[in-house]
Amino acid sequence: MKVKDVPQDNTVEYYEGVKRACYAVNEEGKYVIVPSSGWREEELINRLAVEELAANLEKTRKAVLAGRKSPLAYHMERRQMTPQILGKTAGIAVFRVKRHLRPEGFAKLNDSLLERYTKALAITAAELKTVPRD
Amino acid sequence: MHHHAAHCETGVTAALFRDKGLDISEPMVFGIGSGIFFGHLPFVKWVGLPITTYRTQPGAVFRKTAKRLGGVFVTKKYRNPQKGMDEMRRVLRSGQIVGLTTNIYWLTYFPNRFRFQFNGHNIVVLREIENGFRVSDPVLDKPVDCLMEDLIRARFARGPLEPHGFMYYPVSINPHPDLRKACLKGMVDTCNMMLKIPVPFFGIRGIRYLAKRIIKFDRLLGFEEACRQLGMIVRMQEEVGTGGAGFRYMYAAFLQEAADLFGSSALRELSQDMTAIGDTWREFAVTAARIIKKRGKPSETFAKAGGLMMICAGREEALFKNLRDVIPTLKA
Repeated sequence: MKVKDVPQDNTVEYYEGVKRACYAVNEEGKYVIVPSSGWREEELINRLAVEELAANLEKTRKAVLAGRKSPLAYHMERRQMTPQILGKTAGIAVFRVKRHLRPEGFAKLNDSLLERYTKALAITAAELKTVPRD
Repeated sequence: MHHHAAHCETGVTAALFRDKGLDISEPMVFGIGSGIFFGHLPFVKWVGLPITTYRTQPGAVFRKTAKRLGGVFVTKKYRNPQKGMDEMRRVLRSGQIVGLTTNIYWLTYFPNRFRFQFNGHNIVVLREIENGFRVSDPVLDKPVDCLMEDLIRARFARGPLEPHGFMYYPVSINPHPDLRKACLKGMVDTCNMMLKIPVPFFGIRGIRYLAKRIIKFDRLLGFEEACRQLGMIVRMQEEVGTGGAGFRYMYAAFLQEAADLFGSSALRELSQDMTAIGDTWREFAVTAARIIKKRGKPSETFAKAGGLMMICAGREEALFKNLRDVIPTLKA
């Protein structure tokens, strides 16, 4: 890649002003580091992955509002965690975490378990019990 | 002090060496530590998608570079977060900067879209500030501040590849290391990894295996799922931290520096070949993006994308075989 070919597509929304370092060949044929303001192709592919996460999260949010899942499911997904990661972080067995992802299981949680979840997810207890309305 | 780098681990390793007075570039660390690689693990899933990697496993570059350049490092893991933070403060107070392995999701100074649950991001901590630390993240173009609680979470995150607060810093560094010998070691190691692993998922065999799969992707998986997996492959290749083209350009930069070091025209030619291979990888990324975006334009097919990757495999095989033949002619 030549220095002039380093993508400068200024994908502001994606990079938020962060520049990434690219290795490219300058006029004398020497490798130098060139800061790139983003590449459209890369942004497109990344956006797809981000949108997929957002769509799944939205589905979970609706399921919580409809009473099919517990708010814990939503907050776990918002932190891009799986029951395995959340279980380890909170120090709770995975099968129990899975139980708490259902509304019935979540309703029975005592304060000490709730606190472990709020710590693991870095949110407040009030946040943990609800999901955004819209 | 802060140098903008393409990759976190090589950037941090180079920064720690520079801090001790050995001026070494990021590509040099990448080459000496044998960072370049290829692996496709169809059975190991991450966010539900198979893992594709263009580099060796996290931590290997640092370990190998330190060994080959004769640096003595303190490396420590902690069970207790409090103890891990206290030790780090103590080292920072003595004026020594430290490298850390962290979970990138909890580093809130990153733009949201870079943040995902990945436990292999490396950063340098420069000093303590009020309620946090001054951090030199080599992937960013300037130092940033990191909140105390974020850093604790990032260091002691759980899940695959748990960092356990991994911290490393040099005690002593050989001020005049035998760079030539280190380069040769790195190159031999790389050739072996790319050419000799007798499993079809790694090295050149891995590229061929994946290329063949991509050609059949939409028949194997259906169009939607094929696009998801293809997207993941390109993400790992072009995501921030690769220097472009899945580290191939960075390795070309290393070969160029090595060519100057040895005064070898053969290495210089290999560097140019590597640049051309990198360009082909990028062409593959463009084709993949078009397949995913256009959804059905006839000229951009999975067969074309897989074919481009097959070309990469053939050229990389030739390059590493040539490199293997060149190595004995270089004087250590």
